[in-house]
Amino acid sequence: MSDLIELEELPVEAEHSMREEIRRVSERMRGRRVATSRVMVALCGVALVVAAVPLVALLYQLFDKGLSQIDWSFFTHLPETPTIIAPNATGGVSNAIVGTIALTIYASIVAIPVGVLVGVYLAETESKLATSLRVVSQTMAGAPSILMGLFAFSFLVHDLNIGFSSIAGSFALAVLMLPVIIISTEIAVRNVPNSLREAGLALGAKSHKVSLKVVLPSSITGIVTGCILAISRAVGETAPVLLVIGGGFTNSWQPFDPVSAMPLAIFENAKSEYPSQRAQVWGIALVLVIFVFLLSLTARIWASRKQQVRN
Amino acid sequence: MEQEIEIMTEIKSETTQVVTPAVRGAIAMQLNNVAVAFHGRVAVRDCTFDVAKNRVTSLIGPSGSGKTTLLRALNRLHDLTPGAKVSGQISLEGTDIYRGNLTVTELRTRVGMVFQRPNPFPTMSIYDNVVSGLRFNGIKKKALLDESAEASLRSAALWDSVSSRLKVAASNLSGGEQQRLCIARALALDPEVLLMDEPTSALDPIATLHIEELMKTLKSRVTVVIVTHNMQQAARISDDCAFLLMGEDRAGELIEFDTTEKIFNNPDDSRTLDYTLGRFG
Repeated sequence: MSDLIELEELPVEAEHSMREEIRRVSERMRGRRVATSRVMVALCGVALVVAAVPLVALLYQLFDKGLSQIDWSFFTHLPETPTIIAPNATGGVSNAIVGTIALTIYASIVAIPVGVLVGVYLAETESKLATSLRVVSQTMAGAPSILMGLFAFSFLVHDLNIGFSSIAGSFALAVLMLPVIIISTEIAVRNVPNSLREAGLALGAKSHKVSLKVVLPSSITGIVTGCILAISRAVGETAPVLLVIGGGFTNSWQPFDPVSAMPLAIFENAKSEYPSQRAQVWGIALVLVIFVFLLSLTARIWASRKQQVRN
Repeated sequence: MEQEIEIMTEIKSETTQVVTPAVRGAIAMQLNNVAVAFHGRVAVRDCTFDVAKNRVTSLIGPSGSGKTTLLRALNRLHDLTPGAKVSGQISLEGTDIYRGNLTVTELRTRVGMVFQRPNPFPTMSIYDNVVSGLRFNGIKKKALLDESAEASLRSAALWDSVSSRLKVAASNLSGGEQQRLCIARALALDPEVLLMDEPTSALDPIATLHIEELMKTLKSRVTVVIVTHNMQQAARISDDCAFLLMGEDRAGELIEFDTTEKIFNNPDDSRTLDYTLGRFG
């Protein structure tokens, strides 16, 4: 009987001394922990400033130098070549704005349906074809964008002889957009819970119907966000269009006409010998940044609205 | 064929007076030595029993005994799982569902399913959810869809609370209402058999009670097969009961199949008694 009592008391004592030991050690460590924590928080603050300074400086310069360039004729007039008599005559950049919009629309018409379908296919099937498509699109996503321009130039402009045109530029942009759309669609579709697929199949739906009527609507937010991301990237790209669109000086929506684009206009004007044209660069850049910002803002608002409706 | 069976059973029951599963009346589904394996690893085997028409058959047993795996074989949901293989024979009204001339989509319209967690389509309204099965199968007539939506929601005891907000997103409903919506969605196809995989395990006691009452009323028009973890639930709602248990090689197997009354009162196998008395599991 007495043995039993001893045995029962022993672990209690042991536990007690362990508690004291933990308390003692943690007391000793407290000062060091507090100091480490403060240093880390300070480092985070420094990193934040380092990251924010260039960004704020860039935006400040953009608005400072760009706003004064923008007026109504900036959007409506074609560019003029400054002369010695009128060195400040730069005209507008309507051709570049029209060109960018046309290029983006043509590229999206091809890239969005193809990219979304391939993305859904990759997410919904397991096959050798799917695996190789995935590898190709992931490689393409990392490929330098000038490569798309080079390819469009040698294949469309040179080999097929269709000339410098917006169709060649949109081809290059579409190739650039495709991997972005494919990858984001695949992720969005994979995130749809399997229970919804099963629910559809258990109602006697064929698997392509489940993909189209259940999976696709459930992942539409992610897909649209991916598409808008791809569009914003295409709008700002210079390299793919540099070699193939020809820098046209008219407001042309025709696919086979040479056109200009905002990034290209920045590139060309920045090389100009006239200060007035070099100054105009900031106006074009500002419009481009606002354009991309509005696109991503639309995507965000749309996605959060959609989410709210569902909840 | 149906009538023949009924007549035969009548004669039998007069002579023997013992109600055994073989003499309960018409048979909806027959399982003969059914086994399911994933990548060669057997998950459940030795399942031979008949699912009687217009009765509730429950599959009970501890975790890992293969209840859900067996249930999903009944409407070929394992077809999607790579490496899954169903052997033995399962027939619906005499037609082998894996080898007979019954397409998998037709089978699934005749054998509906309600899942463990309510899974209404989140992008669809209540109305669209209910008629989704009909739409998947090509029915487009508005009048027909409207009629079916109301009838199915009434059958699922949901019409009164949602009739004024049919266009609202289904995710606005409570968990219990969502599960009843899923039942209505399955009923819209007018299935012969309704499979239910622990349909109340994600619900609170009151919602559970609603679903259980619903099942009792539903069996006049549909045969129900339900997997449940809850022995009291099996005892309350089912007419027949299959008890499964994990064997030594970790594969589930059918231990006993009989009327619920017999399984819970004087089962043949001692393990069944131990389980229903709560000695393990």
